[in-house]
Amino acid sequence: MPQASIVVPAFNAADTLGETLRSLLAQTHPDFEIVVVDDGSTDRTVAVARGFGDARIRVVQQPNRGLAGARNSGIAAARGAFIGFCDADDLWRPTKLAAHVAHLEANPEIGLSYSGSELIDAEGRPTGLAQRPRLQGVTPAHVFRRNPVGNGSAPVFRRAALDAIAFRPEGETRRDWWFDERFRQSEDVECWLRLALTTDWDIAGIPGLLTRYRIVPGGLSAGTARQEASWEAMVTKLTPLAPAFFARHARAARAFQQRYLARRAVSSGNASEARSRMRAALATAPLALAAEPAKTLTTLTATALLSLAGPATIDALRGLARRRAA
Amino acid sequence: MTRILHLVDDTNPGGVTRYLDFLRRDPGMAALASHEVRAVPRNRPCVAGIEADVIVSHLAVTWRGLPGLMALRARHAGTPLIHVEHSYSEGFAAHNVRARRRFRTLLRTAYALFDRIVAVSHPQGDWLLGRGLVPAAQLSVIPPCVDLSAFAALPAPQGPVRVIGALGRFDRQKGFDLLIRAFRALPQADLRLEMIGDGPERAALEALAQGDPRIRFAGFADSPAQAMAACDALAMPSRWEPYGLVGAEARAAGRPVLVSGVDGLRDQVEDGAIAVRESTVDAWQEALATLTGPSLPPAARRAEEPATLTRLGWAALLDGFDGLTDDAGSVTTEVSAVAA
Repeated sequence: MPQASIVVPAFNAADTLGETLRSLLAQTHPDFEIVVVDDGSTDRTVAVARGFGDARIRVVQQPNRGLAGARNSGIAAARGAFIGFCDADDLWRPTKLAAHVAHLEANPEIGLSYSGSELIDAEGRPTGLAQRPRLQGVTPAHVFRRNPVGNGSAPVFRRAALDAIAFRPEGETRRDWWFDERFRQSEDVECWLRLALTTDWDIAGIPGLLTRYRIVPGGLSAGTARQEASWEAMVTKLTPLAPAFFARHARAARAFQQRYLARRAVSSGNASEARSRMRAALATAPLALAAEPAKTLTTLTATALLSLAGPATIDALRGLARRRAA
Repeated sequence: MTRILHLVDDTNPGGVTRYLDFLRRDPGMAALASHEVRAVPRNRPCVAGIEADVIVSHLAVTWRGLPGLMALRARHAGTPLIHVEHSYSEGFAAHNVRARRRFRTLLRTAYALFDRIVAVSHPQGDWLLGRGLVPAAQLSVIPPCVDLSAFAALPAPQGPVRVIGALGRFDRQKGFDLLIRAFRALPQADLRLEMIGDGPERAALEALAQGDPRIRFAGFADSPAQAMAACDALAMPSRWEPYGLVGAEARAAGRPVLVSGVDGLRDQVEDGAIAVRESTVDAWQEALATLTGPSLPPAARRAEEPATLTRLGWAALLDGFDGLTDDAGSVTTEVSAVAA
């Protein structure tokens, strides 16, 4: 029985899966399995996974159920006491698994261990951007407002913590759900927040940018409206669980969500959307945004530059940042 | 005869008080030991004149109460000291505790003063063990019991479920806000939701129910059994619940009971309560719709003498202390005889 499992949800990911699996097979931790969940791909995804001929890789196939459904099937198949996730276009630094296993073993009250992420582009080059979240003293309010876990390739869970949030909705006969498959977006923060609100497992991070998280231009940003809608659906779903909590934090969280979507709009060169989202953010909770002045001001500046001088300016600035990072 | 002194700081009519009434009056418990119950101030439980072979704390553990517990331990260094954890559970911690590390330090420190810690349900016990709050050798799980005869005497409800009862303190712990939201979405005009109890959330719950004449606020019930007689089924959408006495009462009364899957309510699912799949309005609405639908709910089997578990649990616990009984095992035998 492997000590740890890494779940890799993969949908038509033949182009990137090989690099992802190489980064996982290179983990320094000695005892793990990789569960590739082929989520109904129509390309060579399965062939790529099988092509490694590595006994540590298991492939689970299913008709398409979406990212949450693929992660859930991966959890159901996983045998490890620790379960991490890596989407089929992201990469793990070689020491990531070892660091999280050590973190979880040393702290029996932690149920979810995460780290920061370096953002890479389609070719795998650093963009100069990173997610450097708060690592200690994480409360449900932090999870809701700022999502320190960051992305779906950052966390490694303790199996027992996942099992504490398992449920089986009407009509599901095969296995439990951990991620809510009715969400096509925001399914990750919904999962972290449900863990934070309904269990007393701690959520904590370790230093380092141990995940390399791929941002594809135009990928997610095209759907910022849908992203906003699914985030609001999450708030609607979870509010009856802890009404006082949401009454207290929803405004600030909504402002941060708008600011995040504004940054996405800047990335995809959509000036008018970025402007309206920043206006909405500032109208919703100016004090919350003022508590993080640097990030709020850079977002405002980028929005203004984009509006006045066009997307070339932003690209040029990002190019500078990349050179600095390289 | 072993003398057990039970210390309690909460004498409000409620689960703990009724559990202590059971411990004092039940013949099986009397076969084990004599039981005295004494109300003490939470922060100064070490009152004068304690003469007992075993001291059992039913107190709420707090930082302010910690010095008092230390004094109790110091004054009765040679007396077995037991704590029954009525208050805390995983759900409690999730919903109420912001400084979790500090909270765990409090519990570890307080529990270390006792010879045994008694969990009131298996999930609560698993939580105490899993978070390293109590070492396995120090933990017992003993489900509480109350006098259920009035509930067992109720005639079983007939026909489809029409009246759903929500019984308990109107506190956000109980999740009755979620229940009202879910109930309001049911279309049938002949359904009723009986809100039986009182508490700080009453006005908020009444506001949520406003405009739906099917929802009635009956006020506090002196006799929970009588209140339950009017209900065909019970609903417990609790956010946390170390044990969940109403569930045991409902089962004794042969009423189906819907429960959220938190804490001690998971034990009750094993005993026949119906688990609602998720703590969402949609999932509760679905569960209520099934319960009140055309097909009758599975006949709720009446709990079989749940007092036996309580008696045997205490017997085994007391057997573990040297010198309390003439020969080990005799107490268990005696209690089994009474239970049979």
